[in-house]
Amino acid sequence: MPAPKLKAAVIALGLVQLVPQREAAAQLVSRIEAGAIVTSAPGTVPANAFSLTPDLRYEGGPLRIAARGSAWLDGQAWQVADGYLTAALSSPTRYHLRAEAIGDLSRAFYDRETRNDQIDAQARVHLVFSQRGGMWLSSGIARPWRVAVVSSVDMAGAGAWTQVGGATLTGTYTNFSFTRIASAHDSAGNAESCTARNLSGVAAQVAGNDCLRQSRFSDVQGTVHFEKGFFEVSAQTGYRFGADYDVTPDSRRWASATATVWLSQVVAAVVGGGRQPANPARGLPARNYANFGLMFSPWPAMTSGNVPVDLRASAMHDFDVDQAGASLQRVQVQISGVQSVELMGDFTGWETVAMARRGRDLWEALLPIAPGVHQINVRVDGGKWQPPPGTPAMHDGFNGDVGILVIH
Amino acid sequence: MNGRITRRLAAALAFVALAAPALAQQDPDPIAGLDPASRHAVEALLDSARAEGLPTQPLISKTQEGVSKHAPGKLIASVVRTVFLSLREARTTLGPLATRDELTAAAGALQAGIPSAAIADLRDARRGKPVTVPLVVLADLVTRGVPRDTASRAILQLWAGGAGDADFLGLWRGVEQDIVSGAAPADALLTRAREIPVRLPPSKIP
Repeated sequence: MPAPKLKAAVIALGLVQLVPQREAAAQLVSRIEAGAIVTSAPGTVPANAFSLTPDLRYEGGPLRIAARGSAWLDGQAWQVADGYLTAALSSPTRYHLRAEAIGDLSRAFYDRETRNDQIDAQARVHLVFSQRGGMWLSSGIARPWRVAVVSSVDMAGAGAWTQVGGATLTGTYTNFSFTRIASAHDSAGNAESCTARNLSGVAAQVAGNDCLRQSRFSDVQGTVHFEKGFFEVSAQTGYRFGADYDVTPDSRRWASATATVWLSQVVAAVVGGGRQPANPARGLPARNYANFGLMFSPWPAMTSGNVPVDLRASAMHDFDVDQAGASLQRVQVQISGVQSVELMGDFTGWETVAMARRGRDLWEALLPIAPGVHQINVRVDGGKWQPPPGTPAMHDGFNGDVGILVIH
Repeated sequence: MNGRITRRLAAALAFVALAAPALAQQDPDPIAGLDPASRHAVEALLDSARAEGLPTQPLISKTQEGVSKHAPGKLIASVVRTVFLSLREARTTLGPLATRDELTAAAGALQAGIPSAAIADLRDARRGKPVTVPLVVLADLVTRGVPRDTASRAILQLWAGGAGDADFLGLWRGVEQDIVSGAAPADALLTRAREIPVRLPPSKIP
């Protein structure tokens, strides 16, 4: 990594650490998908496979870690296929701004011949306009492994999101810039000039026996996520800008969609399909795919959107506190169609604690709450603090109400 | 040269990043986030509470609540002062043996408009029994629109008749349900109160 980028990354991580962090209970969520996947790419035989995809996420204060992998039944043997490990460190929001440092380790697997790994790091600055919209700027670098045609990848982009009714609309722009590496010899082993090897006529540099050429392209992508009751749907479409040398015709446009129907609190049917564009930075071709299967969520993961909407805590239809061990209380609320539920009270020093999703509509937090009378507030999707349902309440003196919790 | 500067900068930032949370934990400030004038006012109230033997935790908690809810410092200081005065009156009403929970509940009831005489009646009806939950329910009922005399009288009768915490919480849930369904708050309370059986023998009812 060049020195300026190292400096920028070090400073960004330092700033994230120096901003005072609010305490929040660590939460662990997981799910597993089982189903069939069908893929096809030009010039290849369509592949069908049975897949198992576990997904694990951890959130504790400013730290977020997510791991997801999939295993395909390839013939008679299981093959570890696509997967990623992501860690993100986030600062609190101050003056509508939030900084985030993200590191990823990922594996892409198309077939035995087409697969590689990549490590990347990026910094993001989020600007939150309101509970219903925001944007971010990002910059980062990626280093693929086992790819013969690419050195490293610089990424820069921006995105914006907004909430319209029950739908979340997200738009992103991402620019990729990297160096392609090609041999300066033809297939017979004869040396050729890099200009001759470069069919597009763009100038290339010679480095030993290789020709180096800067490539860049930009992706514009729109995503919509909608959920209502037991039904969720996500769809995305995009367009790729770039020279013909960098963008193959089959990757100019793409679209895909996934629908999820929750059959119970912990089981959902998932069906999806569409077209994925090529990833030249990783040497992966465009492909069509379809998948269908069941998702089991004993501790279901958060939904992909992370967009606050203004909902009332009174939409909760159940609130319960019971003993969970010697010193902990399990606080549970039931509410559907929301992205986040938080609570705070005198037992948290009035620090916000994020609750973890434990079922389709069930949210939970384990907290040390001593016997006695406590005051508590909850909020949904970053909305107004309110007393939880089923608790006596009183005015808090700050133009709101606070719930009274009696722990025996 | 640049590499050396970068390494030193990285080392310094890493040290500060690792050391800052530890240093911060050594000296937690329970009322951080207040402006100097409001902080001074709250600290004076905390000193007064300590001097009078009143619990300071409810005052600290109310300060933290106000800061978390982004209330202006002046308002926070004012609300903390109200809590302090309520705690003082609650202690006078319930006596020096009252627990912190009882004081907090009584302070909440006083802030909701319950007269101290009604709280004293509850205390006298069953001396030695914690009066926390009846006070919590009483404060809530008045907040929901039940006339304070009606609420005070109904809760006192139930309490004197031997009703327990579960009875009061069940009563509260029923009244809340009825109010949400459109019943007048006072009617809802009186109707639900009739469903709670008298648990003490008549000779024990004061």
